[in-house]
Amino acid sequence: MRRVRFGKYLAGRLLSWFMVIFIGITFMFFIPRFFPADPVEGMIAKILSMTSLPEDQVVYIRESLRMQYGLQGTLWQQYLGFLKGAVRLDFGPSLMNFPTDASSIVMRYLPYTVGLSLVTTVVAWTLGNLIGMLAGFRKNKKSSVVLEYIAIFIYPIPYFILALVVQILFCFVWRIFPLTATIVLNQGAARFWETLLRSSILPACTMVVVGFGWWVISMKAMSENTAEEEYVRFARLRGIREGKIATSYVFRNSIIPQVSGLSISLGGVFGGALMTEIIFQYPGVGQLVQKAITQADYNMIMATVSISIVSISTATLAADLIYPLIDPRIRFQ
Amino acid sequence: MIKVDHLTASYKTLDGNVVAVEDANFEIRDNEIFGVAGESGCGKSTLLKVLYDILDFPLQVDAGRVLFTGEKNGQPFSLETGGVRKAWWNHISYVPQAAMSVLNPIARLKNQFLDSIPPEDRGRETKEQTLDRVRAYLEELNLSSETLDAYPFQLSGGMRQRAIIALATFMHPSVILADEPTTALDVVVQRGILMLLMKLQKASRNTMVLVSHDLGVHYQITDRIGIMYSGRMMEIGKTVDLFQNPKHPYTAMLIDALPRVGDKRQRVGIPGSPPPLRNPPPGCRFAARCPKAKDVCRHDAPAFREVSQGRYAACHLLEGEDA
Repeated sequence: MRRVRFGKYLAGRLLSWFMVIFIGITFMFFIPRFFPADPVEGMIAKILSMTSLPEDQVVYIRESLRMQYGLQGTLWQQYLGFLKGAVRLDFGPSLMNFPTDASSIVMRYLPYTVGLSLVTTVVAWTLGNLIGMLAGFRKNKKSSVVLEYIAIFIYPIPYFILALVVQILFCFVWRIFPLTATIVLNQGAARFWETLLRSSILPACTMVVVGFGWWVISMKAMSENTAEEEYVRFARLRGIREGKIATSYVFRNSIIPQVSGLSISLGGVFGGALMTEIIFQYPGVGQLVQKAITQADYNMIMATVSISIVSISTATLAADLIYPLIDPRIRFQ
Repeated sequence: MIKVDHLTASYKTLDGNVVAVEDANFEIRDNEIFGVAGESGCGKSTLLKVLYDILDFPLQVDAGRVLFTGEKNGQPFSLETGGVRKAWWNHISYVPQAAMSVLNPIARLKNQFLDSIPPEDRGRETKEQTLDRVRAYLEELNLSSETLDAYPFQLSGGMRQRAIIALATFMHPSVILADEPTTALDVVVQRGILMLLMKLQKASRNTMVLVSHDLGVHYQITDRIGIMYSGRMMEIGKTVDLFQNPKHPYTAMLIDALPRVGDKRQRVGIPGSPPPLRNPPPGCRFAARCPKAKDVCRHDAPAFREVSQGRYAACHLLEGEDA
């Protein structure tokens, strides 16, 4: 009985997951095509600025570019062709890096983006919830008050200001870290990891600092409310030790909404961290998206944004499926 | 035995102390159900808090003490205010008001039972042994042993309160304090819970203190009853005697306000409301609402004393009657 209900729920949920992706991708297909910029004309202008060509050659180049970019035929034909490729994760060549495959460029950047965002999201979440829990559970202790003020102070700082301050301090005043990320790829694994680490520490720390304030504030509010609940009071009256009350009663109840928050955040790690990537010159998908949009690289836009759409809707799906595991009151209907 | 020895307890507030229990001086005997009755704000819950030693700010004991003596498993024990906490759930336990929210909503009941084993009893039996014992105990209380695997939201209000009572009594404490244990339940379920409490008390011959504003509840299960008014104990006596022959005018008016089967007479309440606890009037607290009040009642507080065998009251009108 319960299994049947779960199967039904899962089928419906998978359908809506698929529809969200489909509709999202469709929108992303059409929107760039209404941009005033046209990648073919852009390329022709670039060629013409270097040499002058007779008119019939320009027409010929235009036709062959349209074919190679996958832009010939009506919009509808282009759309069908795109869908056919997309299921094989083939989004065609990148227009700005013609003729390299858009997917392979994304794949080159994705590990850096995912690595950085994944680690910082998880660290910020863990740290934020632990601090928030302490601040909320022992709200009258001085240390909790101090922690909370730090979080409230940090939370509203705009990321770019924090990043610039950190950069000035650690790259100019104390020359500990490189100003821009330089990751050495061709001198062996040890050198690669060392440079990766050195280049990632500042971006990661700034992302954690900016990200964890919210988790502290929300967890503090949650645990403070939970600590006032009758079941916590009754647990105390039963003589249950504070450590047990903190973990099994307060933390366990307060963490529920935070877990869904985490899974939504994790869905976003594929989208890149544009600000970080610009300020620290960190290789990542965020900058790729930005360049693709400004240069009307349709295929690159599709490759990067599709990944984001799929990952975010998958994360939401995962959150929905995880929920009943952490909260028994939720059942699939 | 619980000896409440000239106990005064108050809440510390910015505008001064609010004395919620003043000079309470009485005994609760072994093997009895002692009821504490009175209207809202008369100090009965505060009294229970002090008995259970929940002296969290702003509640404080200004004078007197509570002394518990008894024995469990042949071992005598004695506890005093300030040191009752270490005996929680072992010698003394607490049944809260029937409410949706007194159990952890996301933990199975068996875990909440296991959490409640006092530290000194851990290791005396394995978890499985404890759960087997609890299972058998639940069946005694007419609860299916499957209840242990349930979450609180899967139980009805009555089942939940039975489970809470099981939780409060599975370590077989000598003293059980119950604060309005049936207030949120409908009368049918309420009766079941009261019968259960009574059965448990008869079986284990321990002491139960039951706080309720509902005199009907007291009439059904208590052996003796204490009537409180405005922070003071007004009258204590055997429940039956007290209902048949109330000595204190307040008790008499309370009982007279109770509806009775077959009696169609219009019930009258007690006009007025209790005096403020922050700044109580001198003399008897009830004088302003008492139809029989004399001059002396408004100036001198009557002593709480034994007015007849086993019957205590604080009233100037009883002065003539011999102790």
